Amino acid sequence: MPITINPPSLRPSHRNDSSPSADPGSNSDSSTGGTSLTTKPPPDPIIKPSSSKYSIVTPGEVITSDPQWMRGHGTYIASSTTSITSSLAGTVTRTNKLLSVRPLRARYTPEVGDLVVGRIVEVQAKRWRVDVGAVQLASLPLSAINLPGGILRKRTETDELQIRSFFAEGDLLIAEVQQLFQDGGAVLHTRSLKYGKLRNGVFVAVAGMGGGGGVVRSRRQVWTMEAANGGGMVDVVLGVNGYVWISKHVEMPEGDKGASAGITNMEESVSATMYSSQNDRIGVETMREIARLRGVVTALVENGLRVDEDMVMKGYREAVEMAMVAGEGGNEDVYLGGEKGSQLAAALTAV
Amino acid sequence: MPLDTSAYSLALLRVDGRRWNELRRVHAQIRTQAAADGSSYLEMGHTKVMCVVNGPSEPGPRRGTAGGGGGGGGPGGVAEVAVSVVVAGFSSVDRKRRGRGDKRTLELQTTISNALAASLHTHLYPHSTISISLHVLSQDGSLLAALINAATLACVDAGIPMTDYVVACTAGSTSTYAANDETADPLLDLNHQEEQELPSLTVATLGETDRVAVLVCESRVQASRLEGMLAVGVSGCHQVREILDQVVRDKGRHMIKEGTVEKGMGVEEMEVD
Repeated sequence: MPITINPPSLRPSHRNDSSPSADPGSNSDSSTGGTSLTTKPPPDPIIKPSSSKYSIVTPGEVITSDPQWMRGHGTYIASSTTSITSSLAGTVTRTNKLLSVRPLRARYTPEVGDLVVGRIVEVQAKRWRVDVGAVQLASLPLSAINLPGGILRKRTETDELQIRSFFAEGDLLIAEVQQLFQDGGAVLHTRSLKYGKLRNGVFVAVAGMGGGGGVVRSRRQVWTMEAANGGGMVDVVLGVNGYVWISKHVEMPEGDKGASAGITNMEESVSATMYSSQNDRIGVETMREIARLRGVVTALVENGLRVDEDMVMKGYREAVEMAMVAGEGGNEDVYLGGEKGSQLAAALTAV
Repeated sequence: MPLDTSAYSLALLRVDGRRWNELRRVHAQIRTQAAADGSSYLEMGHTKVMCVVNGPSEPGPRRGTAGGGGGGGGPGGVAEVAVSVVVAGFSSVDRKRRGRGDKRTLELQTTISNALAASLHTHLYPHSTISISLHVLSQDGSLLAALINAATLACVDAGIPMTDYVVACTAGSTSTYAANDETADPLLDLNHQEEQELPSLTVATLGETDRVAVLVCESRVQASRLEGMLAVGVSGCHQVREILDQVVRDKGRHMIKEGTVEKGMGVEEMEVD
């Protein structure tokens, strides 16, 4: 059998911008086996992360043993000590006397008022369970949706019996976080004409608020834009949880009902289509531009850029230009992965 | 004979040219898969494993369970750590087929699950499941150790709070049980050839501490040698922790430079207002 000799490993002998994460409590009982492979310097009583701009903490690293600080998320106090230790890999943040660690990446943590895109995974007697990319499934009570036939109607037994006619498993919806439970579970509501079932578009899942890029909380999460190349109007929904929805814009059908339609009539006509799962006819141009927008979003995430209205719009314009430059038939090419994606990201970060 | 006693006593070099206390080359990467919550790739010598972590998340309705509203999670309101190990058919020299019900694989899964559940702060995620999926691409000894290390890295990448890294390493002894050699030296990080013939154990510790999280010994060995082996294994774990920690730090620094993550602050900058 051939014997391979590995090159000697380059052991990390120095830590130029981080302090040794030695545990003050570790007693190196080296007498047992006579091992003296690593001779560690005696740990400092107070370990201070160096002031380097790029320093992060990793799990098990003591942030401070000064008792004046309080521990926040991402930290714990090891038993029989008073030092605050990190439980995550991330950056240290401070709010007054509260020390917490923001992770490099984590799942979405819901907050009240967040606009989220979710997918129904389970239908129960009086509520739906919705996947919003969080640690736990969110719940959407039947009483928190717009029931057909009037915006503010009490739910009835009939509604309960036909709960699947509103949302069934696999349906996508846009909702707002109404309240949070102690354990981090969220309750959603769709009691606004802005919210409800999603159709006529494409779904993209990227990283959300929780750390590590992706969609960030911003002024506007939903907007309608004019697509290039005759694509018509396109809606973009950036859920705070990192779920993105890009769809053809459908006009509220108030115009074609005639001027006589009152406010109640409008409500009725809206709710008739509200829970439909049938897509409208979408032109090829619109589909292409939706696909291009989707490419922009994934390219932004792949290249570690944040996803918000500004970046998506800039990226889209850049993508359209890149396609134009590509020449004949370039408009048809919506692929923005790999080389093209990094090209796009470079163009965006340059300005 | 991998460790020909005469050769070893002459040069004190093992079959692959290492000394008794040397690790093989450890190469690790995190965030190898964009679609997963956390992922890692780890090589310890020629043992190559890949890990993908999904969660913590609440599983959808399970078929067959009554009620269906309860969701997942382990007992006592903590997250469940579900580990699945897949050993690729091409990973070892003999192409052995291992089904899902394979006893060895099941034991690996349970060991890893218990070790990680003890370090991860599972109490923060009731009703949730952390699913860890490990793939063995190539085997050359110290498989359990490599799996534990890869799983730890992937959990760090997934941003799951934990007490400390769970790092693992193997240790052995230079002569067989039958030789009953009192002067046998301990060895660190055994490869497949050594593992076949020599007594060995896998030890995992909680980070830099001497707290042992896993200790697996499947071979006969004199009790007097065990202490030395364990000590060498523990100090090997500390070396592995340094290497893994550096991988995470490099990635973190890279992400901050790119601007994906906002900068943090050092504690000494934190003047209290």
